[in-house]
Amino acid sequence: MNINMEAFDQFREGVSRLPEMIPPAPEMADDERVRRFKKTIIESVAPHQAMDLETCVHCGACAEACHYYVATQDAKYTPIRKLDMLRRVYRRELGPNRWLHKLLTRDITAEELEEWQELVYDSCTECGRCSLICPMGIHIQDMIIMSREALASAGLAVAEQRALAHEQGEKDTMFGMGKDMFMQGVERLRQSGLEVPVDQPDSEILVVSTVMDAALFNDAMEGTVKIMNSLGRPWTMSTCGFEGANFGYMAGYYEYRKDASMRVISAAIDLGVKTVIAPECGHAYPALRWDGAAVYGKPFPFEVLAISEFIGREMKAGNLKVKPAFSGQKVTYHDPCKLGRMGGVFDEPREALKALGVDLVEMDVNRQQSYCCGGGAGNFIINRAAPLRAKVWELKRGQFDQTGADTVVTSCDSCRINFMVGAQDTHWEKPIESLAALVGANLAE
Amino acid sequence: MKKDQTVGEALRQRGVSRRGFLKFCAATASMMALSPALVPKIARALENARRPSVIWLSFQECTGCLESITRSASPTIEDLIFNVISLDYQEVLQAASGTHAEEARKAAMQENHGKYLLVVDGSIPVGNPDYSTIAGISNLDMLKETAAGAAAIVSVGSCAAFGGIPHANPNPTGAVGVSEIITDKPIINVPGCPPIPAVITGVLAHYLTFGKIPELDHLGRPVAFYGQNIHDRCYRRPFYERGKFAETFDDEGARKGWCLYKLGCKGPITYNACAVTKWNDGVSFPIQSGHGCLGCSEPNFWDKGSFYRPISAGMWGTPEGLAAAAVAGAAIGVGSALAARSRQKKASEEEGA
Amino acid sequence: MSLLDFARGPALQWSLIIFVFGVVWRIVGAALLMRTRDFSKARVSSGDRVKGGVRTILTRSVPPETFEKRIRFQFITGSLWHIGYFAVVLLFVPHILFFESFLGFGWPGLPNPVILVIGAITLATLVALLVRRMIHPVLKIISTADDYISWVVATLPLITGFLAMAHLGLRYETMLAIHILSFELLLIWFPFGKLMHLFFVFPSRYNVGAIFARRGVRV
Repeated sequence: MNINMEAFDQFREGVSRLPEMIPPAPEMADDERVRRFKKTIIESVAPHQAMDLETCVHCGACAEACHYYVATQDAKYTPIRKLDMLRRVYRRELGPNRWLHKLLTRDITAEELEEWQELVYDSCTECGRCSLICPMGIHIQDMIIMSREALASAGLAVAEQRALAHEQGEKDTMFGMGKDMFMQGVERLRQSGLEVPVDQPDSEILVVSTVMDAALFNDAMEGTVKIMNSLGRPWTMSTCGFEGANFGYMAGYYEYRKDASMRVISAAIDLGVKTVIAPECGHAYPALRWDGAAVYGKPFPFEVLAISEFIGREMKAGNLKVKPAFSGQKVTYHDPCKLGRMGGVFDEPREALKALGVDLVEMDVNRQQSYCCGGGAGNFIINRAAPLRAKVWELKRGQFDQTGADTVVTSCDSCRINFMVGAQDTHWEKPIESLAALVGANLAE
Repeated sequence: MKKDQTVGEALRQRGVSRRGFLKFCAATASMMALSPALVPKIARALENARRPSVIWLSFQECTGCLESITRSASPTIEDLIFNVISLDYQEVLQAASGTHAEEARKAAMQENHGKYLLVVDGSIPVGNPDYSTIAGISNLDMLKETAAGAAAIVSVGSCAAFGGIPHANPNPTGAVGVSEIITDKPIINVPGCPPIPAVITGVLAHYLTFGKIPELDHLGRPVAFYGQNIHDRCYRRPFYERGKFAETFDDEGARKGWCLYKLGCKGPITYNACAVTKWNDGVSFPIQSGHGCLGCSEPNFWDKGSFYRPISAGMWGTPEGLAAAAVAGAAIGVGSALAARSRQKKASEEEGA
Repeated sequence: MSLLDFARGPALQWSLIIFVFGVVWRIVGAALLMRTRDFSKARVSSGDRVKGGVRTILTRSVPPETFEKRIRFQFITGSLWHIGYFAVVLLFVPHILFFESFLGFGWPGLPNPVILVIGAITLATLVALLVRRMIHPVLKIISTADDYISWVVATLPLITGFLAMAHLGLRYETMLAIHILSFELLLIWFPFGKLMHLFFVFPSRYNVGAIFARRGVRV
């Protein structure tokens, strides 16, 4: 793996010290918390969610899809249970039988909301696997997103994510890293002889990056730049819209989410590009591709592609060629939940890997049913959830081992971090590579 | 016939052999599910019984019940036994008419006060008692005055037992059965439209033998004859179980003698002896002839919907009613949703989250 | 009016009115909340989204192997008792006549002994699943009163139907009346509990299928 392990250790260190640096959450009275939680739910529930909440028959199948339940066998992680606060507010305040539920369904309390913080944040990565198993067809995942928004409005977003969302929203930095770190990454690449257009007008394509790539996953950034340069089409990065990650989106702060998304959207519009490419950062893709137009208020005048999606498409069109440099090597591909199941990108990464000549071995559970890495939706920075993530790593590691692959390839920084943490802690030696890095490093002359 | 002749003397006078008489007693015993050991007792009792006085009153009736009893191709033992009761009043069979008939009734009532058996067929109009009168006396009054001195009452036929056809909706005469008027005498209901002849004579024979009324069910019917339902004794039951039904009256199933449930047979909820004792000396009964049981020994059998409507069919009410319920539900649903939406709108416009 | 006349007559009419009224209210009340438009560019045409939704209505009944091996017990028993229950309701001749009197048309049925066996298996499965709900950690923690009430209300017609058909318990016409009344209880409870999933399962499955189809994901 061509990444700076020192930087990785520093990053882990930094995350573990976050709690001491975070200011305490603002004080809020219990009934104010309850009021705000209810308000967010009331204004957000859509008809398909209402009908979903009416349909649950308490069959418990969702537990069997959730990697946290599967890894721990602890019934409290049952996905539909994570929605209990939301469900009760819906039934008592909005549902057609609210007259009955005012009598029969208990009202929510601030104590319960505090208890539910762990369920909605630590033990849910919004991966959507539960939405696939539910026999009733309940889309549990998008109601978890609503639950986070409601908890955040009640001042109960988990501390680390609250801090990062606030920092990114107010200062456009994450972990203290912002435009400067981004430009450092650009400069490093320029010094190694690569052209990296930044803020170039008359570009067709805007490539969004992330400080995680600039600081840590340099290989992905380098690979992306090389790929873009090889295509010969006018492309650029932007100092206004350089960050694909969106902590407001993950933590449930709508305003911060909007701020982060609008930076990228405005940059794209100002530059007049036709295509925006999201970096290898899990939620960055759905935040822009599927949920970005909601904050913009209308359809985008450009298309959005994930870098792996873009790679596959260009390969199919014959514009991008790679050397079969991994001929014969056994490789398995991990489908990140936000890119695959929630994003719709499955085939393009596989096209790219095949072009690289790998012997692709699929995991027993893959594609839209793939198990989440366990740290998505910003969970990898929740310190108290580390033991929980360690259990999920055991599950994933078992899957990797079963394939007999020498290398794990994925297309998401978040997955990469989580796997690397697990590998480091359990002395698991195999490399966890980035698809963009591999493709970029093996372009055909 | 002399009034103080015993039944045994009367039978011998008519040429009924001892053997024939014992056969009748055995048949009666078996029909009432009594032990064969009781046959000698029945024989002795009947032989020595004084011919009891029986007064038969007919009210709002079609005379079908009387026809049922007396119908026979050739004189039967039942017929003979019937003739050895002292039938002191019966409007169809008696020779007298007019004031003589009424005098005969009054005389029998006086002579046998407290001991005569009152048999009633037909319902009694209480809505307006003048709907049915005999010799200027309303049925209601005649019943009350005659019941006063009776030892027991036998309500023959569904009309006397439960009100029958006249009682059917809208019951313009306010017709009721005997037991709704007389409450201080033992009453045996022998319903059916008409009842099986052997059932009537069996009940009388029981009374003559034991001097008391037989065991009755919750509707006052003798359990011996009305204790099991038609469905349980029906010879077509295996076809019900196998799911083989006649769909119309002339189809293959009908001709093959399959179950008549789909054609409205009320056998499962009807209690009578038809499937066992049958009619016309055991020749047949409605189901055997290819028509579903009407349920004629049950109260209100005229008002349970069509005879041809299966038991499991519901009385659904009108489609308009359901349409109204759907419209009302939609209206309230829309109202509920609109109210919820306005809450949603208000919440999204509110500050403070 | 006898109990049977009451059960077949006014009780049926009123319970059906409550059923229709309650069901329509609940569906309309949930379906008409505020909706938002999705401005993101769909991966597939709207026709394909509809197809995705309809497809999911059907395929959600049979989980893919990855999931099936984890939920095998509830998948098999759940399917078994649902199919058995509907078979008893729809293929027992007296029931068919019940529906025929309402719809104006009927259909062929199964012989009574077959219905008896299916009904017995269904009842045994229901009892097993009730026990499971009471002892399985996941089910224990998420179950509410509604789950138990709905179980009782749904199972009573099966039990009383058995008793009536076998001529056990009270006199036949009384057992039949009780059986019909237990069905009417089911009708009255239906709009207020989880039995409504009979109706809601269709829009729910459709929506999850269409939402994911929009993103190019087959679920």
